[in-house]
Amino acid sequence: MTEKKQSHGIQRRDFLKTTGAAALGLGVTGFPAVLRAQPAAVKVGLIHPVSGFIAFSGTQCREGALMAIADINAAGGIKSLGGAKLEAVLADSQGKPDIGAAEVAKMAEAGVDGFVAGYSSAISLATSQEAAKTNTPHIVDVGVSDSIVNRGLSNTFRFGPGYGKIAAFAVDNLDTINKAAGSPAKTAMIIHEESLFGTGTANLLSEKLPEKGIEVVEVIKHANPTRDFTNIVLQIKSKKPDLIIPANYYNEYVLLARTMRQQRVEAMGIYSVLGGAASNYKFVKEFPEAAEYIMDCNHWFNPKSDVALQRKKAAEDKGLIYTYEVFLAYNAVLGLADAFERAGTTDKEAVNAALASSTMDMSFMPYGPTKMVNGQNEGAQPVNTQVLKGDIEVIFPEEFASAETVFPMK
Amino acid sequence: MKQLVLLGLVFAVIGLAPFVISSEFTLNLVIMVLYAALLGQAWNILGGYGGQFSFGHAAYFGTGAYTVAVLQVQLGINPWLGLVAGGVMAMLVAAFIGFATFRYGLRGSYFALVTLAFAEVLRILSNSVPFTGAGVGILIPLDQSAANFQFASKQGFFWVIWVMTLAAFATVWWIGKSRFGAQLMAVRDNEDAARALGVEAFKVKMGAIMLSGLFSGLAGVFYAQYFLYLDPYIAYGPAISIESLLVPIVGGLGTLFGPLLGAIGLHLISEATRELIGDLPGISLVIYGIVLVIMVLFMPRGLAGLVRRLWPKPAPAKAQATEGGHA
Repeated sequence: MTEKKQSHGIQRRDFLKTTGAAALGLGVTGFPAVLRAQPAAVKVGLIHPVSGFIAFSGTQCREGALMAIADINAAGGIKSLGGAKLEAVLADSQGKPDIGAAEVAKMAEAGVDGFVAGYSSAISLATSQEAAKTNTPHIVDVGVSDSIVNRGLSNTFRFGPGYGKIAAFAVDNLDTINKAAGSPAKTAMIIHEESLFGTGTANLLSEKLPEKGIEVVEVIKHANPTRDFTNIVLQIKSKKPDLIIPANYYNEYVLLARTMRQQRVEAMGIYSVLGGAASNYKFVKEFPEAAEYIMDCNHWFNPKSDVALQRKKAAEDKGLIYTYEVFLAYNAVLGLADAFERAGTTDKEAVNAALASSTMDMSFMPYGPTKMVNGQNEGAQPVNTQVLKGDIEVIFPEEFASAETVFPMK
Repeated sequence: MKQLVLLGLVFAVIGLAPFVISSEFTLNLVIMVLYAALLGQAWNILGGYGGQFSFGHAAYFGTGAYTVAVLQVQLGINPWLGLVAGGVMAMLVAAFIGFATFRYGLRGSYFALVTLAFAEVLRILSNSVPFTGAGVGILIPLDQSAANFQFASKQGFFWVIWVMTLAAFATVWWIGKSRFGAQLMAVRDNEDAARALGVEAFKVKMGAIMLSGLFSGLAGVFYAQYFLYLDPYIAYGPAISIESLLVPIVGGLGTLFGPLLGAIGLHLISEATRELIGDLPGISLVIYGIVLVIMVLFMPRGLAGLVRRLWPKPAPAKAQATEGGHA
């Protein structure tokens, strides 16, 4: 861990010390001419919840962002800035918005040129708002709440899709998949966790699914964490829905899926929206029987892109599980670096303007052309995945599909 | 009177912060220390002076926070009015919980568990009803102006929390000197004996829980306006209840300056551990926990007790302070 950080970034304490010492040195002695020729490093603040109950996802984000920084530096840094290297300044939000915001304030004062944060929507709302006070560019890597980019903050951008788009996409594609199979699914049951993401998903699906001819027979909310899904699964068995729609984080998703398997729940399909485990290689590897045939609507890479596959391999070579956190954080750093490149400066206003006009090529993702509207990349979209023969395949949209949909699953 | 002078002096020194601190981060740290001191002092009124250990102060904090947020977002009511409403609502919730528990003579661990249960009930309720945004939470629209209780710089927030915290500390100073305070501490030390002496224990405890609820609610209002986003876990989750009781326990239970010392100590430890080894995930929290355990083990009277040990008062005053609840 320490080695990784030494190679990709600097310790925050060292960074603060160095900037302080550098400022002092400049004031007292002036800058030696030989040093002036060196391009100053571009500091990127990476703020993620690497401890606390969402530590796994936060750590994945951090690793993805560090990989991007390493790749950009290996490719020559920011060329328009004379090959300036990116330097990561790391912080842990501990899963708390207030700590995330405090870290932003600290880094902004220490001269960080841009932020990539903060995994969850609640933390991203706090960090972007704090960064807005100094107009420091802030890229949201994973947080999907539409409120993040709807507040009119000129420094806040997101290259991945927002929640509204994902949910609409999920409903439309479920309808398409169901119709393609002759509309066998008539009923659904939603099991969701209690926070923003699970509740929002459940509300939206409860409203939209009936419009597609699928009756929602029951919605069950559970706390985080929940470690025993027996009662919930018994309720599912008694209702016998055609579709089971889980919307929960990794641990709960795995436990729910395992319990359903143990209790021999029979349904035509399990269809998730931003499923915590359904698009996760760890789940597929560890519980292949429980994972088989599960469908998900989630962030994913373009399986037909060589660049995407190379990055996946590079991540796996480092021992990482290639989850969406890794590549979304990677993309966020790419987007920020692209803005520095096009702006040719680290001036905040110029970098924000460059981000707002970004047309970065993201063909390694299943996206359309990059187009920022109010900080949101309108070209971004999720895909449908399905676990087939122990692997995660893209099944929709067809242009990115790597396998045919299996539905109903029995 | 000495304590009042000292209190004035301490807050005057703290009040210099916006003039001498140019760093937004450092000022934020001072703000968060004052916010934690306010939370801790609110708990201290009931737990430290009243001897009623609550594990559910999030109930009042969350009520204050949600009141100001819901009034703004759903009804368009100015947050300054929401500040008053938040405090009053939190006080009413405290009155309800107090009535439901003290009326039936719940004490000790039973009282603690029931308060915890109330906070959980409120968390589940706020997670279910639509006007709080349910599990999605509630986002206060960004509209920075002093009239809207959203300051562009941290100075504005500093003065709000400074006034709130000063009010809480002044109230506790008054408790330490007043008949009400003497009765409250008598109830804490031996409720049955206090009753035998004519103290209306129920009334006294109700007064304490309502004051405690009021200041916790004000802390909630402040949090809502400072961070502009709430969800049931943030507002009514156990973290707030734990922070509320940790601050005075570390600082010094039943003392005037204990919560301030506790807030400073906890934030300094937290910052120091994050600064020194914050890049190793979770290690800072482990160190933080170890330091806390050591402090509780070796400083049972908190930081205020340590201060008293280092600078002992003359013997009679010392005895009075130990029993009477003054740092």
